[in-house]
Amino acid sequence: MAVVASHQLAQSITAHAWNATLTMIAVCPNNNEVHIYKGTPAPDSVWEKAFVLQKHDQLVSGIDWAPISDYIVTCSHDRNSYVWSFDGTQWQPTLVILRLNRAAISVDWSPKENKFVVGSGAKSVCVCFYEAENNWWVSKIIRKKHNSTVTGVAWHPNNLLIATTSTDSKCRVFSAYIKGVDSKINPGTAFADTKFGEQLIQLDLANGWSFGVKWSPSGSSLAYVGHDSTLHIASNIGPTPSHQTINLRHLPLRDILFLSETRLVGGGFDCNPMLFEIDPKRGIWTFVKFVDEAKSSTHDLKSSTLFLEAMGRFHGQTRRGSHEIFETSRASGLAHDNCITCIVPLISAGEVNGEEPAEKVVQAFSTSGVDGKLVIWSFSNITELLAKLQI
Amino acid sequence: MANTLRPYLTCIRNTLTAAMCIQNFPCQEVERHNKPEVEFKTSPELLLNPVLISRNEAEKCLIETSINSLRISIKVKQADELENILAKKFLRFLSMRAESFEVLRRKPVQGYDISFLITNFHIEEMYKHKLIDFVVAFMEDIDKEISELKLSVNTRGRLVATEYLRQFL
Repeated sequence: MAVVASHQLAQSITAHAWNATLTMIAVCPNNNEVHIYKGTPAPDSVWEKAFVLQKHDQLVSGIDWAPISDYIVTCSHDRNSYVWSFDGTQWQPTLVILRLNRAAISVDWSPKENKFVVGSGAKSVCVCFYEAENNWWVSKIIRKKHNSTVTGVAWHPNNLLIATTSTDSKCRVFSAYIKGVDSKINPGTAFADTKFGEQLIQLDLANGWSFGVKWSPSGSSLAYVGHDSTLHIASNIGPTPSHQTINLRHLPLRDILFLSETRLVGGGFDCNPMLFEIDPKRGIWTFVKFVDEAKSSTHDLKSSTLFLEAMGRFHGQTRRGSHEIFETSRASGLAHDNCITCIVPLISAGEVNGEEPAEKVVQAFSTSGVDGKLVIWSFSNITELLAKLQI
Repeated sequence: MANTLRPYLTCIRNTLTAAMCIQNFPCQEVERHNKPEVEFKTSPELLLNPVLISRNEAEKCLIETSINSLRISIKVKQADELENILAKKFLRFLSMRAESFEVLRRKPVQGYDISFLITNFHIEEMYKHKLIDFVVAFMEDIDKEISELKLSVNTRGRLVATEYLRQFL
């Protein structure tokens, strides 16, 4: 129902990002390159490879595309990060002085696009900003608090706070206020009198590595996932945050996305995005359903697998060690057939520039994963479906 | 016998499904390295608790997981000395050809007969369910293979003995 389009772009995709008008997409095909395709999320769109960005020399681990300035920032396991700008014919890289001595893992543009943050394997977080006199991006590093690799970073909509997740299983919120880059903070807002790099909140809810931190559109709550198959949501971000943990029956999640203040999706090792919703009366988050539905019904599964088994035997035992005689766990028939590692919202430029304080609802999103597929999901009819569920 | 084998293998299959949630992860101790954390064990926070599944004293399976790799070590049933020799020879034969198996570890973990090392790179290029099938089918086949070998050794022994003793008739 919800799959709009599916594109097999590579053997495996580590990250992807859309431009502001949703006409171009940057994808890392699990190597040191970033491929930019021309194409839209529409189902009949034909995607064409337009550019290849080659500057990194190890796996590119994170891509983010700034909607207003049209800059792409990439980070890689080779400890570097580049900001790419389009000069009309080619994408030109600008050096970022990260000063890291371990791999960079994740990257995120700030909402005002004057800063970005890079999480790294050096147990630190770099907040980078542009220095016009040298024409490069410099970084300020938050070194102390993390005890392990920083797996995920996210900006608060107010452009001042960052949230991080780490393999030491904690989620932290830091101030990323940089003098000279940011205007003065309104004294009324939470955490107004903070210095750069100060740890404001530490959440220790997961029993495993934590991943995929995201803020809700208003910034009032944040969510992250733990490798112990849990989803953690902290609300009322301030001096006394309240938090909730959802224990899942399924395999762990890897990344999440807030669709609105009351709904979020998560994707992970189950290869199937999961929808969560807040119960408006009790204010408790609950798992609603899987977004994808398996195509093959159980009815014709038997005959088809028998046939496949016979065929498999004819083709001989493949190199990949498939023993068809044994009762095998089967391919799922889902849109993804390996772990989902990246979920990106599809918001066209008009909605972003509007900057309405009213609640934004993401109607569509795209996922990519280890199977090399990029799948676009649409939620246009989800409300009807949910209404049906409640009856 | 088959009725105890089934739950043993099912248990291994389910544990492997949960354990194979691994991902690319660069080394945080050494610059520009990317290596299976389960082998080096440099950062304790990147390792999960190992799981030991035993069918009986002689047969067990140890599954050790880390953030980017997992190691499966199997101890094969060896009822008598002949089976012991056969298992040793046969598994050595396999270990020496480890590169053609891709996920086989060249040397078994101490206390076990054969080990597999599965990294995130294997997961990227192979289907997870097929990998699990391979490991489980391997465990099933290895018992069968060794009892067949044992039978043929015994048959041959009997034949040789008969032929040899015939001359004294």
